Amino acid sequence: MAFDTTRVGGFGEPLPERDILEGFDRLIAADRLFGADLDSSTIKKSGKGTPFLVRRHPSHHRMLALWRDLFANRVLPQGLLDALAPEVLGLAHGGGLLLFGKDRVLYDCDIVRGNEGVGHLTLSFYREREPVFRFLPFPRRPGRRIVYIEGISLLAQSTGYASSLFRHYERLFHDLGFHRFRLKASLSVGKYYWAKEGFDCEDRLQFREMRENLLALVRRLALPVEEQEVRRLNHASMVATFRRDLTIPVYRNADGYYATVRDASHAEEIRFPLGKAFLLCSDPWDGYKVIYTDTPRRTGLVWSEGYLGHESRPGHPESPKRLEALGSAIREEGMRESLIFLEPYVPAMEFLHAVHDPAYLEAFRGAAARGDRHFAVRDCAISQGSYEAALLAAGGVMAGIDAVLSGRSDNVFCAVRPPGHHAGRSTAMGFCFVNNVAAGARYARSAYGIGRVYILDWDVHHGNGTQALFDEDPLTFFCSLHEHPSFCYPGTGRRLERGRGAGLGATLNVPLAPHAGDREMIEAFEREVVPSIEAFRPELILLSAGFDAHRDDPIAGIECTEDAYVHMTRRVLELADRHCGGRVVSVLEGGYRTESLVSSAIAHIKTLQGREGSPCSSARG
Amino acid sequence: MFVGPRMKRDLVTVTPGATLEEAARLLTAHRIHHLPVVEEGNRLAGIVSDTDLRNATLDGMFRGADSGDSGRPVTVAEIMTRELVTLSPGDTLDDAMLILSGQRIGALPVVEGERLVGIVTKADILSALLSTLDIEGLGVRIEVVLPREMKEVARLAAVLADQDVEVRSLVIAPHGADGYAAFVRVATIDVASVRSRLRTKGFTVGELSDFYEGG
Repeated sequence: MAFDTTRVGGFGEPLPERDILEGFDRLIAADRLFGADLDSSTIKKSGKGTPFLVRRHPSHHRMLALWRDLFANRVLPQGLLDALAPEVLGLAHGGGLLLFGKDRVLYDCDIVRGNEGVGHLTLSFYREREPVFRFLPFPRRPGRRIVYIEGISLLAQSTGYASSLFRHYERLFHDLGFHRFRLKASLSVGKYYWAKEGFDCEDRLQFREMRENLLALVRRLALPVEEQEVRRLNHASMVATFRRDLTIPVYRNADGYYATVRDASHAEEIRFPLGKAFLLCSDPWDGYKVIYTDTPRRTGLVWSEGYLGHESRPGHPESPKRLEALGSAIREEGMRESLIFLEPYVPAMEFLHAVHDPAYLEAFRGAAARGDRHFAVRDCAISQGSYEAALLAAGGVMAGIDAVLSGRSDNVFCAVRPPGHHAGRSTAMGFCFVNNVAAGARYARSAYGIGRVYILDWDVHHGNGTQALFDEDPLTFFCSLHEHPSFCYPGTGRRLERGRGAGLGATLNVPLAPHAGDREMIEAFEREVVPSIEAFRPELILLSAGFDAHRDDPIAGIECTEDAYVHMTRRVLELADRHCGGRVVSVLEGGYRTESLVSSAIAHIKTLQGREGSPCSSARG
Repeated sequence: MFVGPRMKRDLVTVTPGATLEEAARLLTAHRIHHLPVVEEGNRLAGIVSDTDLRNATLDGMFRGADSGDSGRPVTVAEIMTRELVTLSPGDTLDDAMLILSGQRIGALPVVEGERLVGIVTKADILSALLSTLDIEGLGVRIEVVLPREMKEVARLAAVLADQDVEVRSLVIAPHGADGYAAFVRVATIDVASVRSRLRTKGFTVGELSDFYEGG
């Protein structure tokens, strides 16, 4: 959960440069610090990663600059060497060296049991450079700090050594402010091992290819696996543990490499669970694992180009520009390295049928495919890509729920469109087609067995679709803060609507008078919403986060600012910490003035990350 | 709008000889406030309300405290209202509203000759109003103030038609000495565009608060 990065591990204030320079000299004198040429044409030192040539160290000035850039001077050279070489499961490091390359520092050592060498490890530390402007290669600025696992090899099987070592490293590099591990998973066991350890494909295209290959394998062997089960996978670790109940044969060659078909060299047959077997035989892949997100909470972000495929007519408020602007703002705010990017998927229809009539979805699909300009009502403008985008929006919420419930992130913001909270079982209205949040709530129950889900909807419009879907459900609490229905679309959400049947009391509507501002909103939130969350004791909190109650948003008459969103977000997180391990999945609904949508959403995301202070540098223009 | 189609026909009644206890039980069981009292042949004899029952009980209690049980009413006939204002199915809801509001009573029996055929209560009038104004339907109300000229009403309708917006209801009411207030209920989330379009076309688009101040 919340790490105080300034204290944990003792890497606090920067150390005096004098001490660091002195540390360099001691290591140079002890033959433990050198320079390194990184060039594939030169002679390899050893190991299987990037070849490098050991040479004389660079100038103290350059070493110090690199040290400052990579480690912020928070550790001494000898201290780093010590921290890198813990004794784990009876194995230690011998002959550990620090090597200074042009833009990186390498750590190279032998892994020893007593005096006997049993393996080898090479890491490198560097900092990514990212373009300041998206489409221009230059200028660049310092980006994420990376620990690249150049190679780890162990002669004998040492069960659990690498796992234990990297768990230690994860803590160490977290405290040193490194953002990610990266590696190339190319060795036979490594391709499976690193995925199981929580590494994911760095390149989404590579991951999609992995998924396609798995699908092809499933088809070739005619395995009892649904296509949707494979499509749902969006992380290599999910592939590693996929369908452990099914085992398939693979064939090993003399070097220990595996293939899915037997041939002259791959002769030895072994059976493994499907996911493991597939990865052992897969192509090499570039992996990464998030170590540290710069922020107290690890926040996931669902965003996809796929959401831009839903186009409305010119002048329509719910336009693709909303998400384009939010996407660029996230880049420009320098938030990329602090967010865990999650890829949405097209969900299995059974999860959508839990909230929508199949005939309704089919009519929607047909209308989009036919090229209709709107569906059901004129408000609901559509284009050919609308159906896919709407499915992907619901799948985005599900991907967010996957991430939060599997612990990959503490909370998630799903920047999806089209919005969903007006959509009912068989009704599209108010720019909404598929009820993303409702589908997510049902999914959390059926896929993860989550019982009580609290849905807080602070879009300025009443979430009538969501309310109707859970009207009689006592386990799904629906609470909406919105402009009073006598003044605002859709004209529902009066106080007297409190649920029906078994669900009576599990709906709470808090209408606000026109012109209400931060004070009224926060008062109503504290007075009514907070106690209802406390009383309900949710196991998961979903937010229908529309940002159209902002005073600059023309669509309705509430006049709040980023401050109200920051306040409510912070309080929801506190309540989530108390009741459900901080699990919050926030889903974009409305917000139709680009500037206020962007500044509010950024402030919301930063608060989800646990950042304090001013909402957003661009919030006040 | 005539009373006939709007009145309640499915009636709960008592006979004049029924006890107060029986009457009270009926009121509670059906969650109603008025019981028409009928004699043979459904002939309307009077009406008894929960207020009548309460007054009789309180009255009896006070008298009972002073002078024993004697004189406490026992049957409905003793306490029912006999001087009735009634409607016939051919009267209009306007009549019903004027009577209910002017006489400050809660329910009007509807008779054909002497025979009871229905009842109209304040709640029925409210639900008629709700459906007329389409308050339960999805949409937003826009209030437009315009000069009291049909030409302006026609222009308003034309602007709305131009915008291709679904109008759920349109109520025109007098406003001030020489104006109309038009209450337009539109079924679109983008009501801001409708409002601003109307303003561009020279209409005064108010908020409800403007009308509060106007009295």
